[in-house]
Amino acid sequence: MTETIIFYVFAVLAVICAIGVVAFRNPVTSAMNMALCFGCTAAILFGMGAQFLGIVQIIVYAGAILVLFLFVVMMLDLKTEENSNFLANISGVAIAAVFAAMVTSVAMHLPGACLCCCKAEPAKQVQQGALGGELPKLCPAAAARQLDPQADVTKADSMPDIKLLGQCLYTKHTIAFAILSFALLAGSVGAVAISRKIRKD
Amino acid sequence: MVTLAHYLILSGVLFAIGLAGVLIRKNIIVVFMCLEMMLSAANISLVAFSRAQGTNGLPVYDAQVMALFIVGIAAAEVAIGLALIVAMFRARRTVESTALNTLKD
Repeated sequence: MTETIIFYVFAVLAVICAIGVVAFRNPVTSAMNMALCFGCTAAILFGMGAQFLGIVQIIVYAGAILVLFLFVVMMLDLKTEENSNFLANISGVAIAAVFAAMVTSVAMHLPGACLCCCKAEPAKQVQQGALGGELPKLCPAAAARQLDPQADVTKADSMPDIKLLGQCLYTKHTIAFAILSFALLAGSVGAVAISRKIRKD
Repeated sequence: MVTLAHYLILSGVLFAIGLAGVLIRKNIIVVFMCLEMMLSAANISLVAFSRAQGTNGLPVYDAQVMALFIVGIAAAEVAIGLALIVAMFRARRTVESTALNTLKD
């Protein structure tokens, strides 16, 4: 029950903050709204049991990316004035609304999906592979067994999320991880190269 | 009770708001912020699928690794993009996307 309440609170907050990013004229206000939106997104990730990704979301998005945005906004000293075209605004909102409606209808017609009627027919749910219905429960004992087959699984009480994620990252996806680090290196070098002042002489 | 559909709808709505921002706003920095919001919305649906497809009480960690890669690539992309915006501001003294019409005129 608490999980449901937390989800709804943070989902509504995230949507409101996201609308704030689009609606406010001042780029600094937009950036602050974006920070709140990322915070709410991180809370929703925590609620799904992805603690490490939630923390990464806060550190990387709200910490690094947002500060970079604020640096640039402050450095460029923008005027808040921005002339907007009513017709363009309406068409943009219409396209986004159509997209949202499409995603919503796909999500509501997932096999076995039921947004509010699940109590009525519990027999349909348990089927493996059906995407609808409640998310499968996380099991700390199974996680402990995967990390160490000889472990005493009765003691496991919390999910070792970071250990399992690291196991997957550094065994199955090592090469992709190395390529990602090269992309970050190239990005930081490229950022310096692009934004430096070019001398005329 | 929160199901996969709830997470997917939230992710889709956040993505749609980001899309609206990209289409509506003229300030390139805010357009870029909305792009970041779209990426993080995609992350929500990846993690939700990793939970929904999980077996034996474990989520599918491949999806979470992919979400981690998205965050990393987003960081690199922001560094490059903001550098481009700064370079553009130096050259044109503006960050309005409507001012970039040299090829059109």
